[in-house]
Amino acid sequence: MTILRLLWIYLRVGVMNELAYRVNFFVRLFQSLLELGTALAGLAVVFSYTDTLGGWRPDEILALLGVYFLVGGVISVVIQPSMEGFIESVREGTLDFTLTKPEDAQLLVSVQAVDLWGFIDVLLGSGVLVVALARLGERVGGLEAAMFGAMLTAGIGIVYAFWLILATCSFWFVRVENILVIFQSMYQAGRWPVSLYPGWLRYGLTFLVPVAFATTVPAEALTGRLNTETMLGALALAAALLLASRAFWRTGIRHYSGASA
Amino acid sequence: MTDLAIHTLDLHKEYVVSEREAGIAAALRGLVRRQTKMIPAVDGISFDLRPGEVVGFLGPNGAGKTTTLKMLSGLLHPTAGELSVLGRTPWQRERAFLQQITLVMGQRNQLVWDIPAIDSFELNRSIYRLSPADYHHTLDELTELLDLAPLLHKPVRNLSLGERMKCEVAAALLHRPQVVFLDEPTIGLDVTMQRRIRSFIAEYNRRNEATVLLTSHYMADVEALCRRVIVIHHGRLLYDGDLSALLRSFTADKTIVVQLGDCSNDLSAYGEVVSCDEGTVTLRVPKGETARVTSRLLADLPVIDLTVEDPPIEEVIERVFEQGAP
Repeated sequence: MTILRLLWIYLRVGVMNELAYRVNFFVRLFQSLLELGTALAGLAVVFSYTDTLGGWRPDEILALLGVYFLVGGVISVVIQPSMEGFIESVREGTLDFTLTKPEDAQLLVSVQAVDLWGFIDVLLGSGVLVVALARLGERVGGLEAAMFGAMLTAGIGIVYAFWLILATCSFWFVRVENILVIFQSMYQAGRWPVSLYPGWLRYGLTFLVPVAFATTVPAEALTGRLNTETMLGALALAAALLLASRAFWRTGIRHYSGASA
Repeated sequence: MTDLAIHTLDLHKEYVVSEREAGIAAALRGLVRRQTKMIPAVDGISFDLRPGEVVGFLGPNGAGKTTTLKMLSGLLHPTAGELSVLGRTPWQRERAFLQQITLVMGQRNQLVWDIPAIDSFELNRSIYRLSPADYHHTLDELTELLDLAPLLHKPVRNLSLGERMKCEVAAALLHRPQVVFLDEPTIGLDVTMQRRIRSFIAEYNRRNEATVLLTSHYMADVEALCRRVIVIHHGRLLYDGDLSALLRSFTADKTIVVQLGDCSNDLSAYGEVVSCDEGTVTLRVPKGETARVTSRLLADLPVIDLTVEDPPIEEVIERVFEQGAP
């Protein structure tokens, strides 16, 4: 398992990197707690007026919030820092060092930076999920858990492929960070079930920026409201996007080395 | 061709660049239809390197040196021509190929900025899948040769440029590559550190019989390390052969330094006066005239000391670039 081995090494580097700046821990912890607190307060306000929201009960929305934090944490632990590092290395020319290493360059690029404090969100998200599950009680069985695991993996795969495709654009355009910022603000919308949004936005959040697959779908799996079509669709989309991003990456590398010209 | 470390034949690399005229109108036209132009960076060069050779790769800025090195290390795909390194095609970037080469770029860093160099070394150990025994053996050797012991555990950002370069070079050689591409490895370093890196490269080459292709703007590097040089200019090969032969054929003049008691004598009758201060006169004379001028100087003037020197190697190389192939 090369990917796990490399992830582990880069995680070590990330840990050492971050421990050089200890104050960051408290800043990030404060930020995450503040965000979680605001989100919980938002839920409390909404559910003081209504018992269900688009068919979702408070504890189910709470589970969704947990997924939102969990996936957001995974993004900020490895996907975001690695992709940002990759874009920078294209600009600065240090990608050449990566390309002369005897390891798959896409793999190296995708795990090259690990942001330790992103784990705060992973832990907070998991905590919220556990609380939500406890309150949902016996409704979550083994099948739901397995489907949740599959949908979570598919969702993370979709988000990774999406980021990789955007970041790979840096082979042609120098400033792609701006597009990445758009993703981050769109991701915020994933805090609520996408079914709450009007049709055009729901469509956009599902297919244009695949936020729905990262948060709503796994939460649906957990709360037993996932239908087979959506599940198969998510798996198919994950597989297709991963393959497409790989192909696009190869095209980018060929362009970078001038082989396509 | 497998007995050659590096083989290139009629190698070409063209870049597509977009160009437009100055002004808003041209910029708007450019939005609709890009004007592109093919720029030949490497325009048909051929050379071979035997295993274990250390060869200097010279040329002015923009001559195509870095482009060639990038093609040899698999980063760029040649537009045309034959190319093989250790019997493999670089741009296919096979694991077995990458495992045996390295690229050091003096102006770019691969070490992680905020952590000690030793941790970046560990990272490379893992990527290159080195066994702990091999890794520690090589690391000990590099530590000794480059005097790295006091540097390894400091964050890279706290190292001086020279110290960082030593660590960069070590990081690039942990896997004991058979072919080493060095692009300006001593740039910006002080003279002592340059000498240090230089003698290290010579030692690495001796111990591992590695093939080294080196570009440098410091002729001292080339003079100390390379018997053979390849000179390119505008993407074309100007010269490939012994450095000493190149210097000989391009050294048309000799420099005569005469120490006289005072500076009152006008020596322009003997040759071109380059400088004259505190009784020391520097003359430039055609190579064939050296003996005659020297004996005349000694006969005519109260000479305290006299030396005959070759012009500095930088001047000679500059002349090579200006005049083209011999």
